[in-house]
Amino acid sequence: MKMETIEILCCPVCRGDLVLTSFKAVETEEGTTDIITGVLRCDACGINYPIAEGIPNLLPQEKKTDQ
Amino acid sequence: MNQKAPEYHEQVYQPEADTYLLLSSVKNEIRNGDMVLEVGTGSGIIAQACSERARCVATDVNPHACRMAHGMGVEVVRTDLYAGLKGPFDLIIFNPPYLPTAENERIDDWLEYALDGGMDGRAVIHQFASGLHRILHPYGRVLLLVSSLTGIQETRELFAEEGFLSFIVSEKTTEGERLVVFRITHDLCSLRG
Repeated sequence: MKMETIEILCCPVCRGDLVLTSFKAVETEEGTTDIITGVLRCDACGINYPIAEGIPNLLPQEKKTDQ
Repeated sequence: MNQKAPEYHEQVYQPEADTYLLLSSVKNEIRNGDMVLEVGTGSGIIAQACSERARCVATDVNPHACRMAHGMGVEVVRTDLYAGLKGPFDLIIFNPPYLPTAENERIDDWLEYALDGGMDGRAVIHQFASGLHRILHPYGRVLLLVSSLTGIQETRELFAEEGFLSFIVSEKTTEGERLVVFRITHDLCSLRG
């Protein structure tokens, strides 16, 4: 996922903004940043949406209860 | 450029006559500087062509399709239609699941998601149309592929009810099925509230 794509993503449930945390990223030949692994968090819903293999998964997720 | 020859996955819809009809319409419609969304990209070949001309993002619910399109250099988001996207988009492209499918015909695999249009063939198209105002730019355009099996007039009426105008911009008849591409825009003159 390109870094700039965050601008057009939203939480699939509440449509709120997402906060990106990148765990693994690479610089492309064009000089942009590609996120390979990371998390997109919706603070309003308290849900983390994973990014794996460069693909954000914005399917509704089970809310993980913190214990 | 990280374009590779596509490796087809058995659970991904492979390009057929409908794909190529839609692709040719897209090439006529796309403008430099468009912000493009392809919904349900499948193999990713349409989104890949768009990415050469404009900024393009593609979605699919099928993880195999997402990986395949991503492998072709397409910017992919795994989501249901456009649920996780904000927009606004100047051009939205959709080759929907449009085959009428009865409950007892369901086989429940990923490829079926690419084909199953519900009882009347328009279930997913209806869902797509109902949220379109949120993500389509006021002057944006949609290119939608529809088959005679789906009901061409019924699809036009469905969009009219949601406040959109539609025109047929391309068509082709294959094996007793008529395929058309609709160009859909906001009906800016409508008195709809």
